[in-house]
Amino acid sequence: MATVETALQTRPRPQIVAHEARPEPSGWTSWFTTVDHKRIGILYMATAFVFFLVGGVEALLMRTQLGTPENSFLDPATYNSLMTMHGTTMIFLFVVPMMAGFANYFVPLQIGARDMAFPRLNALSYWLFLMGGVVFYASLFYSPPEAGWTMYTPLSSSAYSSGGGVDAWIFLIHLTGISSILGALNFYVTIANMRAPGMGWSRLPLFCWTILTFAILIVLALPTIAAAVTLLLTDRHFGTHFFDPTEGGSPLLWQHLFWFFGHPEVYIMILPAFGIISEVLPVFARKPIFGYKAIVVATVSIAFLSLLVWAHHMFTTPISTVVLSFFFLSSVVIAVPTGVKVFNWIATLWRGTIVMKTPLYFAAGFIAFFTLGGISGVILAIFPLDWQLHDTYFVIAHFHYVLVAGAVNAILAGIYYWFPKITGRMLNDTLGKISFWFTFVGFNATFLVQHSLGMDGMVRRIYEYESSTGWGDLNLISTIGSYILGVGVLITVVNIVRSLKRGAVAGPDPWKGNTLEWFTESPPPPNNFDVVPYVRSVEPMKDIRRQVERDTGSPQRETELTYEEAEPVGA
Amino acid sequence: MEAASVAHAEHHHGPPPANQSSRVEPQLLGMLLFIISEVMIFGAFFTAYFFIRVVQGEEWPAAGTELPVAIAGVNTAILVSSSITLHWAESALKRDNRFGFKAGMVVTFLLGATFLFIQVNEYVHIGFSPQDTAQGSIFYGLTGLHGAHVFIGLLLLLFVTIRAFRGHFSSQSHRGVEVPGIYWHFVDVMWIVVYTSVYIL
Repeated sequence: MATVETALQTRPRPQIVAHEARPEPSGWTSWFTTVDHKRIGILYMATAFVFFLVGGVEALLMRTQLGTPENSFLDPATYNSLMTMHGTTMIFLFVVPMMAGFANYFVPLQIGARDMAFPRLNALSYWLFLMGGVVFYASLFYSPPEAGWTMYTPLSSSAYSSGGGVDAWIFLIHLTGISSILGALNFYVTIANMRAPGMGWSRLPLFCWTILTFAILIVLALPTIAAAVTLLLTDRHFGTHFFDPTEGGSPLLWQHLFWFFGHPEVYIMILPAFGIISEVLPVFARKPIFGYKAIVVATVSIAFLSLLVWAHHMFTTPISTVVLSFFFLSSVVIAVPTGVKVFNWIATLWRGTIVMKTPLYFAAGFIAFFTLGGISGVILAIFPLDWQLHDTYFVIAHFHYVLVAGAVNAILAGIYYWFPKITGRMLNDTLGKISFWFTFVGFNATFLVQHSLGMDGMVRRIYEYESSTGWGDLNLISTIGSYILGVGVLITVVNIVRSLKRGAVAGPDPWKGNTLEWFTESPPPPNNFDVVPYVRSVEPMKDIRRQVERDTGSPQRETELTYEEAEPVGA
Repeated sequence: MEAASVAHAEHHHGPPPANQSSRVEPQLLGMLLFIISEVMIFGAFFTAYFFIRVVQGEEWPAAGTELPVAIAGVNTAILVSSSITLHWAESALKRDNRFGFKAGMVVTFLLGATFLFIQVNEYVHIGFSPQDTAQGSIFYGLTGLHGAHVFIGLLLLLFVTIRAFRGHFSSQSHRGVEVPGIYWHFVDVMWIVVYTSVYIL
């Protein structure tokens, strides 16, 4: 590495070591007491990734059971528990906290702040999330929940789910719910209050815009599920009758409350993914994002519409046709802002100087297959068709296209894009591309055939089927695909572990990024920045590179990324 | 530009002063967002209430039961007064009137505690339980959720009152009164909505 002086002349590295910042406490115990947004972000991401692997193993066990007809690999109760834990884990313990982890690490960096607005509240959010996961998984030792992640009453009532598993699930929702709400108001206040000088709303990075919207949705949607599970808890243990039709209550009330939360939750998971993609694409297309304002407006309108579509999960319940039509139309309308985004992303790549690196692979995979998931979503929104497809594998295929091809691809793109900033080392690009192709092939093999299975009438949540149904072949393809997908994820895990010690040294700005996180060292010092530049556009790093180029005469905007020169891989 | 700021950094000690990009203080904004989430919790309980009463078409209150509308009305007046006395306390503090501030806080706290006492007393004498019918469940659900908020609000007011007697806060520094104050006003306004829909409608 060059000395600080020469580096300053040749590349934008204005950051200096803090002179009087309190030294971070070191040693492993410091992870318990830290209030630094970066370390909390790492905790969030690492914990969520562990839950991702656990949830993935649960999925593989289920796929193994379903691989052949009349299989007896798992008994029905175990299958139901695995199914419940897989769904709950992936949603509450992986995607949402993973996005919160990215946001924790990168929102303050992208807006040029030193930390979050409420650092201690931030630490509390993380520990509540972890404890939510712990109390939920503790139910493995007595009676894991079996009622599915939607916990429909009366199946989840004490009459049909008498074990403590449902209560563990309720406890998980309470803890992660409080965690998410506290985190959300922290993100909102941070973005509203702590932006760098010059960074008006129209210069806020798109990832921060999506996190802002994510925060608003959490504040609006999460309290509803918290209230609903409280009612469920009192029904189960204190003899109330909220969901009991014999005493004036109604199971439909649960479905309304659940889905009023449940549908915004989908966008809570996918909007930050949109943000990651909107950050990755312009960097690897070497040109500005196409339609910044259109993407912002689309983000906010998706969030607004997402609060008006919940009953499209309830098309088969007794609701009048007029109401069904409203929810059909409002659901279809969401395709418009989403389509705007997809076209903006394609237009960003169009005629760009494409740099074929792993983050771009995952981002491109996201655009293609998230769009497919969106299209099958529009199909399901047509309620006469949904009466046929409701609760079949078509629905499973639809939301896995949205959440695996969508959220997981974006998370992997984010990991490959930001890992150098977090650790100071590059992930191996070749391994990354291999991982991409495995997940790409595995994902499509797993879920594409499930559309057919659903239309053939295979309903979700069954633990076995007879060979006379003829579903065996497609299910076997799906199971083989799921293992390929698992291998793909494992390759990324190997890549991460390997690169922590042996990856090429990244330097402050290996991708020639656009946003302020690349302005500081990798990994950033505890105080993030000593000098925060005045922000003049949505791509402040481009402005800074131009300025340095004018001042020093050395070219800063070369399209070739030069980090490999720093140190050979695997030295 | 960069060279200048780097040179400047040589004389700079500690982290740079944080840039405040909004006129609203972080603490106030955080409390307002928290209150929005509280409104949504109440919203879910109100959904349950109206679902049972309107969609299910259940009789309200359940057959053979009666709600003490008048007593609860007096109780409403007590809670609304506590919001007014809290406002007096805050304006006294802004004029550095210590006596007015302390007296206002004590009166507010006592009014709030009276409200909670009457509410518990109502539960004792109302003659039905949450286990009887769905109507009973949601009556206790809504008023109990609100009562829990009153309890939390009282704790916050108690801390402010204790700090007032220890000489904390001044006309220059009163955020620690203002933020719990917003919460208390919210609890108060929410009661008016609960009273209107549960007792009067």
